[in-house]
Amino acid sequence: MRSVFVNPERCIGCRQCEIACAIEHSISRDTISAYLESPVPRTRIHVDAGREATTAFPNRCRHCDPAPCQQVCPTGAITRDESLGIVIVDPGRCIGCAMCAVVCPFDVITFHPLVGGTDSQTAVAVKCDGCQGRLSRGEMPACVEACKVDALVFGELNELVAEARLRESGAVLAAAVGTSARTALDPLLAWHALGRATTQLADHAAAQGGAR
Amino acid sequence: MSVTTANGDRSHRLTINEDAQRMIDLARTEGIETVWDRVAAQEPQCGYCALGLSCRNCSMGPCRIDPFGEGPQKGVCGADADVIVARNLGRTIAAGSSSHSDHGRDILEVFLATARGETTGYRIADEAKLTRLATELGITTDGRDIRQVAEQVADALYEDYGSRKESLALAARAPVARQELWRQLHIAPRGIDREQVEMLHRTHMGVDNDYVNILLHALRTGLADGWGGSMIATELSDIMFGTPTPVMSEVNLGVLKTDQVNIAMHGHNPLLSDVVVAAAADTELLDLARSYGATGINVVGLCCTGNEMMMRRGVPIAGNHLMQELIMVTGALEAMVVDYQCIMPSVTDVAKCYHTQVISTSDKAKFPGATHVSFDPAHGAEIARQIVRMAVEAYPNRNPDRVRIPVEPVRMMAGFSVEAILGALGGTPKPLIDAIASGAIRGAVAVVGCNNPKIPQDYGHVELTRRLIENDVLVIVTGCAAVANGKAGQMLPESAALAGPGLRGVCEAVGIPPVLHMGSCVDNSRVLVLAAALANALGVDIDKLPLAGAAPEWYSEKAVAIGAYVVASGVTTVLGVQPPIFGSPHVVDLLANGLDDVVGAKFAVEPDPERAALLIRRHIEAKRQALGLPFVDVDAVEPVAAVLSGA
Repeated sequence: MRSVFVNPERCIGCRQCEIACAIEHSISRDTISAYLESPVPRTRIHVDAGREATTAFPNRCRHCDPAPCQQVCPTGAITRDESLGIVIVDPGRCIGCAMCAVVCPFDVITFHPLVGGTDSQTAVAVKCDGCQGRLSRGEMPACVEACKVDALVFGELNELVAEARLRESGAVLAAAVGTSARTALDPLLAWHALGRATTQLADHAAAQGGAR
Repeated sequence: MSVTTANGDRSHRLTINEDAQRMIDLARTEGIETVWDRVAAQEPQCGYCALGLSCRNCSMGPCRIDPFGEGPQKGVCGADADVIVARNLGRTIAAGSSSHSDHGRDILEVFLATARGETTGYRIADEAKLTRLATELGITTDGRDIRQVAEQVADALYEDYGSRKESLALAARAPVARQELWRQLHIAPRGIDREQVEMLHRTHMGVDNDYVNILLHALRTGLADGWGGSMIATELSDIMFGTPTPVMSEVNLGVLKTDQVNIAMHGHNPLLSDVVVAAAADTELLDLARSYGATGINVVGLCCTGNEMMMRRGVPIAGNHLMQELIMVTGALEAMVVDYQCIMPSVTDVAKCYHTQVISTSDKAKFPGATHVSFDPAHGAEIARQIVRMAVEAYPNRNPDRVRIPVEPVRMMAGFSVEAILGALGGTPKPLIDAIASGAIRGAVAVVGCNNPKIPQDYGHVELTRRLIENDVLVIVTGCAAVANGKAGQMLPESAALAGPGLRGVCEAVGIPPVLHMGSCVDNSRVLVLAAALANALGVDIDKLPLAGAAPEWYSEKAVAIGAYVVASGVTTVLGVQPPIFGSPHVVDLLANGLDDVVGAKFAVEPDPERAALLIRRHIEAKRQALGLPFVDVDAVEPVAAVLSGA
């Protein structure tokens, strides 16, 4: 099964996937003119901050099977494309009741007016459509193409999981037996560590009683 | 729109100050957006930019480098992570150096105009300092009219902004060994504007493609600020407005008065604030204020303008950088008068929710939503009166039910120019050197720089300073760090009780606080002058001294320029906020290690003030050991683990 896989430890929070997604779902598919369209195109992937500075998570529809959103949709607007393995919304049938968002385990369904929706004012469910058009042209999903740090990768799910597992085992072994994949000064690790230290300052400040 | 931060931070996690906490809570209740809401809305911030790995210098790009090493490793032009990070850092330093230096040039222009009798509201206040400066510049003063001397001094300093000199006039204050080192490294600053412009040239695509070469010029660009633009600003401000001497004043939002017309002077340049302070005493304007029911006109400072006014006039300071929005939430501010630098575009948005008039004054810094009164030194006094009148006219618009001044002010002592410090010591640095040599004072640290909403406001400044003075390290403060320490009550002569026994003894004998207010951010040039004076008195270079710098909460390009000139002058500096360089292991290694072999000083990054204090104390003791002075093993005296867990 081909899928978008997320390596959250790699995400550096640039949000370029969000921009790429919105542009992919515009009429013009042009970086500049997309923002002038009405309704304005929306991203279906959302990069949110982690609890610590310098961490972020790109969150998108996991195309569950069975999909809770599909199961609760009262109008049958949400269906599954078995051949592509994706869950899609028909904006013309969506009544904006938000039941899908209520049951979504990942909170990735948002509501905006959409081309093909009821009209240009009425909000309908907006979520990842798996970039069907791009896939049919032999391209990668827009968010994956935009990601230059492999926080988002596309391919056979089990192969991607295996790659991630390999990295994980390297890190675990490095910690356990003292071998290190990176021997030189690692500024990226330092960057994350400093982000963590900065986040902890609020705890320290609050623990000291706050007000003076 | 009210936004809660990602982790639902409450106000006591955002700032350590009660006045700020109460105003943040009120702002949230009233739906007023502040800097903390906006930083939360920006999260997560772009990692490419935070790592220094994005380049927008040309339109073959924009480009970015994958820090994990699998995606693109070069920009379209072929620049790798080292070049891109170095170019970005160089441009940041050029911008910071330019800001201080343009501020200095504005003062220089008014100084020359004043010498020619073309201004109102200005004079030569410190003729002795002018005479000393003229002598230093090789200008004869004997029997000459002081205004003629001033004109010639102005001409000489204008030359420092140009391209025709080999070195800056005031850089000759550095120890000879340091000047020689700069020449050997080809980083002796030649002209202020020249180095800044050359940095923009070098970082154009296809010019300087060697990251080491770019960073060396970045140091020179910083030096052009510290020993050039900033030092000129400080010297001429002293000459025109008076060299600071110790003065008692007050700090925090409690300096606002419930029954008076409150005017906050915000920004950096004393040219404007000095004449406004004078205009606030104008009897006609006071009568006007009384006719509206106010009992007086209360001028207070914000940010570095506040430091300038407090140093010389004892004018109270309402707060530092992150207080500029919150001061309006008191509902008691009639006017915020701004010039330039660090004035958030958001101030006019907050002002709309109150009766506050935002008055912009610099033609190079306009604010939509503000009233612009173009500042012209030829009519300085008249314009100042016009500005004060606007503030008074706003008083009847105040809603008394919305006035809530949250706290009582805290007392603080300011005004420690180099002249004042030497004066307190009896005219020579010898008592200070003796105290350092005996070990009563371990060393001295300049804690400087801004506020940054990524750090709980003032936590870095106050905790670091406290740990240092507790361990007998004398602390010198400027800018927002000075205001932070003032608010924390660490800048009174009786604050000596907070210090270790050695520092406490010295402070009590001389009657000074353990934390000395040295002025605004351009006044970091005073730190250079003091360091040079200590080095020259000992006959060593600055890097041999037990000194350090720290910028626990820095945010601005100016702060990076300051860091560059402080380190290039031989003082190791600890930053509390990470600079955008971590995308290049080579650049990090050079700045955090390699520079020590080049200029005798380096950078470190440590957000936690407890750990930063330890880093600094280890550094100071190592310098003491190298000088043959009594030293201690900081970690043996106080195990790291104990300090960390006890924090």
